[in-house]
Amino acid sequence: MKGSLLYIGQRTLLIAFTALAVSSIVFIGIHRLPGDAFVSERLRPSQQQALLHQYGLDRPLLVQYRDFMTNLVLHGDLGQSVANRGVRITPLVLREATVSAEIGAAALIFTIGLGLLFGVAGAIRQNSWVDYALSATSVVGFSMPNFVIATFLLLVFGIWLQNLTGGGFFYEIGWDGAYGNPAEIIVPAFALGFPYASFVARLTRASMLEVIRQDYIRTARAKGLAEQVVIVRHALRNALIPVVTILGPLVIGIVTGSVVIENIFGIPGLGKEFVQSILNRDYNIVIGVFTGYAALIGLANLTVDLIYPLIDPRIRY
Amino acid sequence: MAAAGLLLAAACGQGGGSGTQSQNLASDQTIKFPIGDDFGTLDPAQANSETDQEVAQNMFDGLLRFDKNLNIVPDVAASIPALSSDGLTYTFKLRPDVTFWNGDKVTSKDVVYSWNRAAAQQGAYSTNFSAVAGFDKLSSKPPPVATIEQLLAKNDPSVMMSGLSAPDDSTVVAKLAQPAGWWLSAITLSASTGMIVDQKVVSKDPENWWTKPDTAVGTGAYKMSARTPGQSVDFTAVPNWWGSPKPTVKNVHLDIIKDATTRETAYEQGKYDLNGFGGYSNLNVDDILRVKNTASLEKQLLLHPKVRTTWVNFNMVSDAQRSAKGPFVDAPGSTSGKDLRMAFALAIDKAKLAQTVCQGLVCVPATGGLITKGLKGYLGDNTDPLAKFDAAKAKSLLKSADPDGSKTKSLTYVYDPENPLNKAVAENLQDQWNTNLGVQISLQAESHSQFIKDYLSGKFVMNRSGWQADYDHPQDWFDNLFGKVAGCPDTNCASGFTSPQYEQLLSQADSKPLADALPVYKQLSQVLIDNVAYIPLYYSVGAFMIKPYVKGAGTNNFFDIWWNEYQVLQH
Repeated sequence: MKGSLLYIGQRTLLIAFTALAVSSIVFIGIHRLPGDAFVSERLRPSQQQALLHQYGLDRPLLVQYRDFMTNLVLHGDLGQSVANRGVRITPLVLREATVSAEIGAAALIFTIGLGLLFGVAGAIRQNSWVDYALSATSVVGFSMPNFVIATFLLLVFGIWLQNLTGGGFFYEIGWDGAYGNPAEIIVPAFALGFPYASFVARLTRASMLEVIRQDYIRTARAKGLAEQVVIVRHALRNALIPVVTILGPLVIGIVTGSVVIENIFGIPGLGKEFVQSILNRDYNIVIGVFTGYAALIGLANLTVDLIYPLIDPRIRY
Repeated sequence: MAAAGLLLAAACGQGGGSGTQSQNLASDQTIKFPIGDDFGTLDPAQANSETDQEVAQNMFDGLLRFDKNLNIVPDVAASIPALSSDGLTYTFKLRPDVTFWNGDKVTSKDVVYSWNRAAAQQGAYSTNFSAVAGFDKLSSKPPPVATIEQLLAKNDPSVMMSGLSAPDDSTVVAKLAQPAGWWLSAITLSASTGMIVDQKVVSKDPENWWTKPDTAVGTGAYKMSARTPGQSVDFTAVPNWWGSPKPTVKNVHLDIIKDATTRETAYEQGKYDLNGFGGYSNLNVDDILRVKNTASLEKQLLLHPKVRTTWVNFNMVSDAQRSAKGPFVDAPGSTSGKDLRMAFALAIDKAKLAQTVCQGLVCVPATGGLITKGLKGYLGDNTDPLAKFDAAKAKSLLKSADPDGSKTKSLTYVYDPENPLNKAVAENLQDQWNTNLGVQISLQAESHSQFIKDYLSGKFVMNRSGWQADYDHPQDWFDNLFGKVAGCPDTNCASGFTSPQYEQLLSQADSKPLADALPVYKQLSQVLIDNVAYIPLYYSVGAFMIKPYVKGAGTNNFFDIWWNEYQVLQH
């Protein structure tokens, strides 16, 4: 237990350092981009200069960097937006990161749930029509980018279903309150998670096929255990190890994939800031978004690593 | 199947649909519509975008306002101000019954404070006060906003225009440094520097007072009631508002949705009552085409001309500070540059361009001069010779100005790709110049932020250019785009163009009342045409979607109709 806590503490520190390193790199990168936040056809050069001065953006970059890092490390303050003036970035990014995490977590449920279901079903019904159907679905899911799936789902459940039912029953784009509601979350989460579910399904199927041919599975069956017990308790648990191994990269894919999905479904998460803040040269938002993503990915990876010992007792921290 | 079941389950209970319509008012007087981004700022001293102004015009008032037909009418002022015989002094009388929503009474001191504050901050529209005596004494490098506030509280002359005074609580006197027939139009610009703010509230949080419902205090029919930055904003009607018509719609809810197609889809699903409002009338052309081909939606579509002209800009001046050079520069004793500009102008079939790029929907060919159709100063349909298409003459001009093709070799047209139309226009121009003139040009995309900076400092030989009018007065075009007032040839000037004739006519026109000035402004248009200072391409058209049960919603060339004129009918 003590070892685990130490491990979590170390990893958390590492995540914090990684986030700080990311914010430093992005700080330098975004300030090196040509153009600035206050360029407009209407602004005269003197007016533009006045705005740069007001926001301290005319100071030497090193001074800006020093002040930015001091505020970030000591106060957790990312400053304020220059494109949307008066908006404090830390609470904005924190709120949007939790929305993205919410969608990501829901997507992960689809990824794991559907992936395991399809994989196990395909393995225990190998070479049957069930196996072929699920394999075909997996190939299609994995071959299609998430924005194609998202657009297709929107077309089917949002528009066709609305027309079919005369507007009585359909998926409505939108977001209720800070964190939406289950009906709003489920379709974007599916679009985000389904391609990875297909990947998990293929991996699970292959892994299960290998495991269920092992001697200990034959032994379990020989001693009269019910098939469900054999599959769930003995086969699946071992088949899960390679699946858990790839969860880390999958989580990263899901988190970064949310950029597109959030924009398509109008979800107020981190993703919708991603492109616009770069185009707006909204320096601190860009830094905040990248830092938020770095922290989110770090925490997701940590969570995955903490799941390992639950699946494989040989792994300890 | 399981997934499909889950998705079907998700759809449960989310329904829209329309019922029968009557002319009775709905019990829920709430309007919802999406906008594409959070506000830049709603502070009238700093507001610098159509999108912010479309919303803020419902929160703030000025002494005057443009009515739906773009006539200047009294707002907080009791009447149109009296002008002294020398054309220098305006005297405004205020209505006695105007209050901010927090109950503070509006007096002439509030007006003088608001105007001085806006001018001292040197925001984008501070030059709307440039005609007022003392504006030129304000620092162009202003102190921080909070410091300005402290100085204003002390009536410090460094942040005050000497030409403004408030002889009593209901009178504002504005003395101009020189006659300026455009000045009333400039201060009437909605949600901008001419609007009145409450010093008592602003002074407590000079930078961010407008961001919070409690302190975003104005005299308008609506006040902010809730705001989640980056997500949504709510407004409610001000009870017992002093103006008219009294608001029927009690609540206005805005969601921030970045993607234009997502906004339209959500509207069509019934989540919103309007789309294209709040400065986001740039619906995707594909969506508009689909809407036009869908019987149930077609009647909800409103296409209305907006006040933007797009043209091709040339670098016309070569000097040490403008790095572009190029073959279109005017050189003493040579007409080569002008002939080449004309050749490039005549080689473009503008009607074909508008049809190809805009599908005949979101723009129309610009055939009546620089100033957009529908505005004062428009020359009339098919009056601009630069808008004509004559490939034969274009080739002939090219042959005489550039016989061996060396001048027009390796030309690059630069555009900012954030607006998808700009890329489509660039490709169309490239194709037409190749086909009709035999000149191959390269295209270069540059991010909007850098593009604006580069083209205003004369770094491009030829580029996308445009202007969206702020108010309905030709001065807004001629003072900001060409000539020394704009900063030409070297600062803040895309083409570099200026000439003694232009300067003399501009000075004359700007000082006259509008009726007398219009013929002179038309001469200015002619000067630009004679010098082939631009290639007119198209005038923009805005697209709006309005549910049949929303009465009163709409737009004029400049702005959305105010929310207090909307009604939600039973549906």
